[in-house]
Amino acid sequence: MANILILLFNGISEGALYFLMAASLSVILGLMGVVNFAHGTLFLWGAYVFRWVYVYIFPNNFILAIICATLAGFLIGLIFEKVFISRVYGNIGAQIMITLGLSIVFTELVRVIWGPSALVVGRPPMLAGASHLEFDFGTVIISHYRLFVIIVGVVVAVLGHFLLTRTRVGMTIRAGVQNSEMVGALGININRYFTLVFAVGGALAGFGGALFAPLSTTITPLSGNQFQLMAFIVVVIGGMGSFVGSALGSLFMAVMIALIGWTIPDISLVAPVALMALILIFKPQGLFKWR
Amino acid sequence: MIMNKLANMDRLRWIELVLLAVAFIVLLIIPQISGAATITMVSRIMIFAVFAMAYDILRGFIGVIHLGFALFIGGGAYFVGILFFHQGATIPMLLLAVVGTTIYSAIWALIVGKISGKSGMLATAMITMAFSEIMRNLMTVWRTVTRGEDGIAFRVPAPFNDRTMMFYACFIFMILMAFVLYKFTKSPTGRVWQAVRENEQRAIFLGYNTARARTIALLVASIVGGLAGVMFGLNSRFVNTEALGMQMTYDAMLYSLLGGAGTLFGAILGSTVVILFQNFLLDLRPIHAIFERWLLFFGALYIVVVMFMPHGIMGYYNAWKEKRAQKKRMAKEAASS
Repeated sequence: MANILILLFNGISEGALYFLMAASLSVILGLMGVVNFAHGTLFLWGAYVFRWVYVYIFPNNFILAIICATLAGFLIGLIFEKVFISRVYGNIGAQIMITLGLSIVFTELVRVIWGPSALVVGRPPMLAGASHLEFDFGTVIISHYRLFVIIVGVVVAVLGHFLLTRTRVGMTIRAGVQNSEMVGALGININRYFTLVFAVGGALAGFGGALFAPLSTTITPLSGNQFQLMAFIVVVIGGMGSFVGSALGSLFMAVMIALIGWTIPDISLVAPVALMALILIFKPQGLFKWR
Repeated sequence: MIMNKLANMDRLRWIELVLLAVAFIVLLIIPQISGAATITMVSRIMIFAVFAMAYDILRGFIGVIHLGFALFIGGGAYFVGILFFHQGATIPMLLLAVVGTTIYSAIWALIVGKISGKSGMLATAMITMAFSEIMRNLMTVWRTVTRGEDGIAFRVPAPFNDRTMMFYACFIFMILMAFVLYKFTKSPTGRVWQAVRENEQRAIFLGYNTARARTIALLVASIVGGLAGVMFGLNSRFVNTEALGMQMTYDAMLYSLLGGAGTLFGAILGSTVVILFQNFLLDLRPIHAIFERWLLFFGALYIVVVMFMPHGIMGYYNAWKEKRAQKKRMAKEAASS
């Protein structure tokens, strides 16, 4: 019982990271119709820039390191959209190829700059501890850092939902998800929004990577892959263009993976992918539909 | 005057034929004059040329984005590997592998055909990607038979254990498959494929059974892709889960796009150029440390192809030929008037 609670808690903290990836991915997919295969690379860059700043530039300054990683994600996302992806809107095959090429190149760049082997990342001292909660059925260990990640995830979900539903920019983006041509016809420069959404999406992915590095305590050039795949699946589960859908989808995925890992570990990799296929075939609008 | 122009017209055709004959003869000679590494590499190029041509049927002719195409090269290779490893490397087992691969590929084709008729292009892409990932994970988990990620190394039966014979087998295989696929694209069904790619709605209104056309395209492409997998297994004498990895699909996409989507034979050029480029980069590694990171340049190739040559080598060549023919026609009209 205690074990399963720890497992669920740890799973949900990773779910918060899925959410940061999936929320941006789903708005990008919804607004521009781009399947961004380079999103995991932005996450990866977030993790590496975080460690670089945290270790070398502003030693042990957690906040500044996170800000730098987020900025890195923003800038790379901006470059991706402006230079590359803006040329292939509407051509799904070309988008897949170009984002794939970008992900290969930028993953290799990580290897060139920071080396191909795994790097160790420390947790900030104030969040490094863990609480031991005593229950009748045993002790539940709550890592403070994981709790912090969950709280950040919830805050981003609420903030993002507010921005998308209550502000002018957010409403334009949601209108664009519905029908981007119509928004363009209303005299709004939709291309500027494309760039904005892509860059902010990159920032969110970089932010997620920065939070991930101290969570896993080791980072490798392959760290982004798993999160990218999970983010794709969450987008499918949660539906496009919605922060709430992505949040619910991430929670669902995290709990599901934790439970399957606990009961039948052999299928813990297959199950999420199979679930994605089934949902796409039978319920392509997603499980949690929010307007 | 007109005779002169006719002679001019024919010159390009002549050059094409001569180049083709040269390529044919070079391919015939290669096993006699080069080492084992080159023979295996060129065999690999020819196998992947078939794989990419099959992919082009989907991407270039009917407009389905199949992100699970690794299902076929990996499936064929696994059929060969598992049967040879566990049941012995004999010709009957090879035949069994071919039959098994054909059935396996056909089943996937029918499933994907059913789904792609209903779902959009993007959903189909994601679903097929999920299928190949499911298959890869199953092969990883089924350790008693497949040895998981370590993969199985196996012997191959008599004529194919000789590198030279394997090379000629690949050569014949490529020519045969190119011929079969070409015949399909020129058949009435092939015409419907292009109608579907250009505008499915219109093709439906014109009374074509587009679902049937799509299923036929998927069947043809999947089975040919699966057979390429059988040859891939025979040539590498080894199979692991990488054969079912996404990279296989990405490779097929790159080969067919670089060669020219929708040109069929372009895929042969694409796989030749990319695999040679890949080997060239690998050879550069001792020269400078940056080439240890050869994937950097390989990834850049994806971007360059999409951004600067979206029609591929054959696409540009065909466009140039078309323009040249048009110019000639206009000159002829001007001369006659």
